[in-house]
Amino acid sequence: MSTSDPNKLLTKADKLTKLSFTRWTADWKSATILYEQAANSFRLAKDYENAKTAYEKASKGQEMLSSPWDAAKHMESAAALAKELRNWREVADFYRRASELYIECGRPQPASDALAKGARALEDTVPEEAIQLYTDACTVLEEDEREQMAFDLYRAATNVYIKLEKYTDAAALMLKLGLAAEKSNAINSQCKAYLSAVIIYLYAHDFKQAEKCYNDCSQVDAFLSSDQNRCASKLLAAYTDGDVEEIKRVAQSSAVSHLDNVIIKLARKLPTGDVSGLKAETVEGEEILDENDLT
Amino acid sequence: MSVIDLLTRVDSICKKYDKYDVDRQKDANISGDDAFARLYAVVDADIEAALQKAEQASKEKGKASAVAINAEIRRTKSRLLEEVPKLQRLAIKKVKGLSSQEFAARNDLVLALPERIQAIPDGTPAAPKQTGGWTASASRPEIKFDSDGRFDDEYFQQTEESSRFRQEYEMRRMKQDQGLDVIAEGLDTLKNMASDMNEELDRQVPLMDEIDTKVDKASSDLKNTNVRLKDTVMQLRSSRNFCIDIVLLIIILGIAAYLYNVLKK
Repeated sequence: MSTSDPNKLLTKADKLTKLSFTRWTADWKSATILYEQAANSFRLAKDYENAKTAYEKASKGQEMLSSPWDAAKHMESAAALAKELRNWREVADFYRRASELYIECGRPQPASDALAKGARALEDTVPEEAIQLYTDACTVLEEDEREQMAFDLYRAATNVYIKLEKYTDAAALMLKLGLAAEKSNAINSQCKAYLSAVIIYLYAHDFKQAEKCYNDCSQVDAFLSSDQNRCASKLLAAYTDGDVEEIKRVAQSSAVSHLDNVIIKLARKLPTGDVSGLKAETVEGEEILDENDLT
Repeated sequence: MSVIDLLTRVDSICKKYDKYDVDRQKDANISGDDAFARLYAVVDADIEAALQKAEQASKEKGKASAVAINAEIRRTKSRLLEEVPKLQRLAIKKVKGLSSQEFAARNDLVLALPERIQAIPDGTPAAPKQTGGWTASASRPEIKFDSDGRFDDEYFQQTEESSRFRQEYEMRRMKQDQGLDVIAEGLDTLKNMASDMNEELDRQVPLMDEIDTKVDKASSDLKNTNVRLKDTVMQLRSSRNFCIDIVLLIIILGIAAYLYNVLKK
């Protein structure tokens, strides 16, 4: 029976579920079993299209049998097959559905895992969708007060943003990471997140923003007394002095090399653009101040 | 004349002229009851020895041995300076058989001692006088500067040795700095790794708690099921049921055998 043609199983199961004249209620239990068998056989035969449909139907069957856990599991398998088929729209949909089912079970951790898997699958092809999935995953975790799991997700999402060159968004995500770290008392991660945010702003050649960001972060006591703070202040001082050598030296320092790989690459590429331009601006500002003092 | 004759003659001549031997007299004096004289003689001898050592130091070629000898001289000087107050006290005491002149002289001798002690050269350059002027002022003739006011270029020139020494010191210090930098970086990496590990473990604590509760629940369920199973099996195993089972089984087998025999035919 289990080795019979999966297509036959599929049609049999369909017949069981389709409501017709002779059948008043759909027999989901046996249908689901048949669907699962068919899906497995399809997968072994590497017939991804059919396997995917079979898994979808199996998941629906489990839902009808009010076991959302199994339903979610089947949805995830369907999504993995959709990834093989490079059907990105479906991948996103399936993973979302799976995470919803997990939340129904009352298990937020697998829910966010499902979303993260989806995001990872879509990173290269549909990055905006991937970011959406990542942020949703982080929200799910935060609602359940498990921010610590969210660190990795934030970092991955920031990497995607940087690839897309959306630096303000990336820095904003870093600040959110800092917030999550503070709640879970992970001081080291928090300081690293703030330093990364400053570096991202500097890379985007947005010095004012970087300074503002640095000032905001200095309000936090934990950051103020950390290694990363010293590194950030050195970097900003080097920028105000327009000293390229100093910037390069700070970028090579150990505090920066402990950050994420993508951030390290950004730091090594500093300074972008004309640093002496910044220097002239700040010098003018000081002169004006002096005149005011004299009068 | 034989050697023995010569020796006896020399001996008698020495004895005759002994009273002119100043050193001998001094020693004889010392062996008297005079504590002051004894102490003074000891101090004097020490000063002489220190002066000799100073001469030796100035002749020394190697820096290290010169420095060592100078250190020794300094130590002796400080010890002698400590003895001086003792001598002063002894000097005031009146001793019988001493003329008043000698008594006054003793006081002066004691006063002169500190200056003599300080004058022993121990390698430290002479401190400049506060009132300025490199020449020795007339009121204090005992104070001497080692170099007699010759402060020309040569005095302040670094000797080869000292400049080499300084260079070596700078090199060593640079190497130390480099080594310390390497260590600092290594420690930084360690610190980062350690705090990452810390956070990771913190992350896993609630997970472990969850696992704990779940496993507890599962094991209690299992215990329950075990007990129920045991009860059921006990019930089934009551001997009455067992015998009935066996009897019925035998009957069935008998019937089957009978049928088999019948059919075979």
